[in-house]
Amino acid sequence: MTTAPTPVPTPAATEKLSGGHGVSGTATPAPGSHAKRRAPRGGSWLATLPLFVFFAIAFGLPAVAIAIGAFTVSNDAETGAGTFTTANLSDSVSGAYWTALVSSVKLSAITALIGTLVGLPIAQAVVTSRFRMLREAVLTASGVLANFGGLPLAFAFVATLGNAGELTKLFHLTDHGWTLYSFTGLTVAYLYFLIPLMVLTITPALDGLRVQWREAAQNNRATSLQYWRHVALPILLPSLLGGFVLLFGSAFAAYATAAAMVGATVPLISRQIADALSGNVLVGQGNLALALSLDMIIVAVLVMAVYLPLQRRSARWLS
Amino acid sequence: MTTVTAPVADVQPAPGSATVEFRSLRRSFGATTALDGLNLTVHPGELLALLGPSGCGKTTALRILAGFEQHDSGQVLVDGEDITRIPAHRRDAGMVFQSYSLFPHLTAADNVAFGLRMRGAGKAERRKRAKELLELVGLPQHADRYPHQMSGGQQQRIALARALALQPRVLLLDEPLSALDAKVRLNLREEIRRLQQELAITTLFVTHDQEEALSMADRVAVLRAGRLEQCATPSELYARPATAFVAEFVGTMSRIPAVRAGDGVEVLGRRHPVDGTVPADGQLDVLVRPENVTLVPALHGRAQVVGASFLGAVTRLTVRLADGTEVKADLATELAAGLPVGSTADIALPDRPVLVDRRAS
Amino acid sequence: MAQLTSRSPLARFQPGRALVLLVAALYFLVPMGASIWFSISDNNGIGFQAYTGLLGAEGFTDSLWLTLKLALATVLVLLLLLVPAMIAARLGSPRLRTALEILCTLPLVVPPVALTAGMIGVLRWGPDYLMDTPFFQTFVFIQQPEFPIVLVLAYVLMALPLAYRALDAGLRSVDVRTLVEAARNCGASWPRSVFTVILPNLRGALLNAGFLTLALVLGEFTAASILGYQPFPVWIYAVGNSQGQMSVAVSVLSLLITWVLLLLLAAAGRERRHKPAHS
Repeated sequence: MTTAPTPVPTPAATEKLSGGHGVSGTATPAPGSHAKRRAPRGGSWLATLPLFVFFAIAFGLPAVAIAIGAFTVSNDAETGAGTFTTANLSDSVSGAYWTALVSSVKLSAITALIGTLVGLPIAQAVVTSRFRMLREAVLTASGVLANFGGLPLAFAFVATLGNAGELTKLFHLTDHGWTLYSFTGLTVAYLYFLIPLMVLTITPALDGLRVQWREAAQNNRATSLQYWRHVALPILLPSLLGGFVLLFGSAFAAYATAAAMVGATVPLISRQIADALSGNVLVGQGNLALALSLDMIIVAVLVMAVYLPLQRRSARWLS
Repeated sequence: MTTVTAPVADVQPAPGSATVEFRSLRRSFGATTALDGLNLTVHPGELLALLGPSGCGKTTALRILAGFEQHDSGQVLVDGEDITRIPAHRRDAGMVFQSYSLFPHLTAADNVAFGLRMRGAGKAERRKRAKELLELVGLPQHADRYPHQMSGGQQQRIALARALALQPRVLLLDEPLSALDAKVRLNLREEIRRLQQELAITTLFVTHDQEEALSMADRVAVLRAGRLEQCATPSELYARPATAFVAEFVGTMSRIPAVRAGDGVEVLGRRHPVDGTVPADGQLDVLVRPENVTLVPALHGRAQVVGASFLGAVTRLTVRLADGTEVKADLATELAAGLPVGSTADIALPDRPVLVDRRAS
Repeated sequence: MAQLTSRSPLARFQPGRALVLLVAALYFLVPMGASIWFSISDNNGIGFQAYTGLLGAEGFTDSLWLTLKLALATVLVLLLLLVPAMIAARLGSPRLRTALEILCTLPLVVPPVALTAGMIGVLRWGPDYLMDTPFFQTFVFIQQPEFPIVLVLAYVLMALPLAYRALDAGLRSVDVRTLVEAARNCGASWPRSVFTVILPNLRGALLNAGFLTLALVLGEFTAASILGYQPFPVWIYAVGNSQGQMSVAVSVLSLLITWVLLLLLAAAGRERRHKPAHS
């Protein structure tokens, strides 16, 4: 599994978003109106308790393990097992590991950018299409590719553009210097699940663009171009930035695609962690994997810190 | 028809308010016919309400005028010029939409000045003009608010200011009050009328609320199934509806069975002359407004009171006749006190020509 | 009517849109087509060994069975934990809702690789510190290769944001509080009103959440391969090294089957929504 999960908009949700005028976000009860309801408040905490307990164990413990492990000397080290150290962390951002981190960030940024720019027109074309079936086919296919994709996609690409791939043979791409097992190759493959992710992410926002805005703009002398430049794109901007960030996170976290495709030609941090965990690493460096994980989490936290406020703003505009 | 009053300071009256004409306008969407040969003329400076049930084509007519829809055949003329080929963004008509049409990413002032920006006006001019218009709609202190920070009524005022910003020749209002609370609706109704009269701008107002149409408009055009039923002043429409549809759509009407009697009809035991023509065949009903029904308490009257709703100065009573017909009658509230539910009364119509219609089914 | 009129200007034929769709279709369909061709063509023509040989292939049924068991367990655990919590949060205080939303977003900041690393870190505590305690038995139990519970834990976490958003979309369109109050007003008990009133209205969202989770588990590779288990995706990977055609065949098959199932789900949802309108 490689990507940050994004649900396919449910039929009901799509309906609501495309419902156009008359649908305001009034479904949520006003805050404060709950005070005197007869809902047993103790009961509502009780119903959430299992989830919280599960979360504390399944998520909390590994988080603690990472936090502790990243800052202690590994148990398989000859001396000083369990004592505090920052060596893991500093190792994790130097040498080959630093290269991998930078290369991961670079790949994620480039693919996210392309994915955003390409995903928007596709989503717009699908959203404005006459054919309801097309819309559903594309959105569900996007759901599959974006959420499920990783490994099967890698094999599809190997079969298509790998050294013995059908297109490679057909067009003698190898003679032109093409290889799937390179940075460019990875970019092409990543886009295969990032573009669908963008389509999924931006579709609700496009549905939320009210027909009245376009008409009001026209009514105020805006040409089609001016409408996009002054109304639609500014309104979509938070969603677009949010989408970019989500794509970045998704590409950054991806493991299966790269694992199945490239071997070690393009160093990526997710692969470094997997290698470290599988024991392909020097003795005494077991906790290095945890330090690398911490690096990854920090990048992901930054990503979410940018994404969530953007998401909130676009929800306010487009609800 | 032009009711030109003194324009407010700083805001020019719309330059030469236009005449708008719809000629044999037709438009259908697939199997449904929205407009079926609409003929209608709007005079310069008047507020004309397009009134009708939903699906009668009133919104379609407005959208064709704004350029958001194309008509299948017929003509739309503004000051005698056919505007069919002019794209929406070059038509000289400001529009206020039902709701949610303000750009969410712009402040009130920027929303109002949007059209000026599209026309390439400078920042200073835009700010000055936005200020004037916000004052015009009574919201100068809201210049820097975003739409989501304003109430529905405030948003519609801003939308009105935006529609007026480019000094259009025609103002189009597409049910601008329908999403608002009753109280806000009343205020804004008066406000729109005041502005419209000050600016003397030709205005088309689409609504399905007959009370709104009657209280605001110079003339009301009642549409039904894409055709014009009647276009007249509110008082004429109410007093002399041209068709039974108009009569029942505008205000409250009761139907009382009647029989032919010479060139008149006999109803409730009395002969009445007929207003308009008597349908050639079929059974007849007389249409009568509640305020025209007289009830006098009587021990064995032929009308039995079955319901009463208090409306303030008057109380509307529902009485049932021997044949089961229910008739509504307005009585001064203190008189209605003498007719509690269950009591009986004598019922009479005024000695005037009455409107008749073929009985339904 | 507004819907009817407002859509029509968009519905006109636009060459730009057609071009965009065409290019996109090429980009996404060519690899699929090429993969299918790759899986059926060999040196002397066309053959379907990659497909026919599947059932007999070593590990195919075992790994598929394991994956299906894992998927079922994950969906069940996830829904049992999440649905009561989300309904309760709708009925309870807004604070609870915020807490739940944060909790369900958190897994997004821990990439699967990092989560797996953390889990391995925890599992190492077993032999290191807990050797003589009952906890050690627990650790062994959740790692048994026939049914690695640890993978279920990981999958539930990974699917949490996904399922949360799907369910939240469903709950948004249902006024839970009013429905429950109406049911209670009619004399239904708490559990009864949830089962008879809320859940039926959430059926679409539940199906959606369940199905996306299923898809996630069917395709999950990272945690399983690093932890050293062999569910279906890991098997595909392993097969890829020796039998390229077969791995491509299985890949394409699994993508297509998942897509068709999702499409059917969407169609079923649409059917149900339209029924009341006609009657």
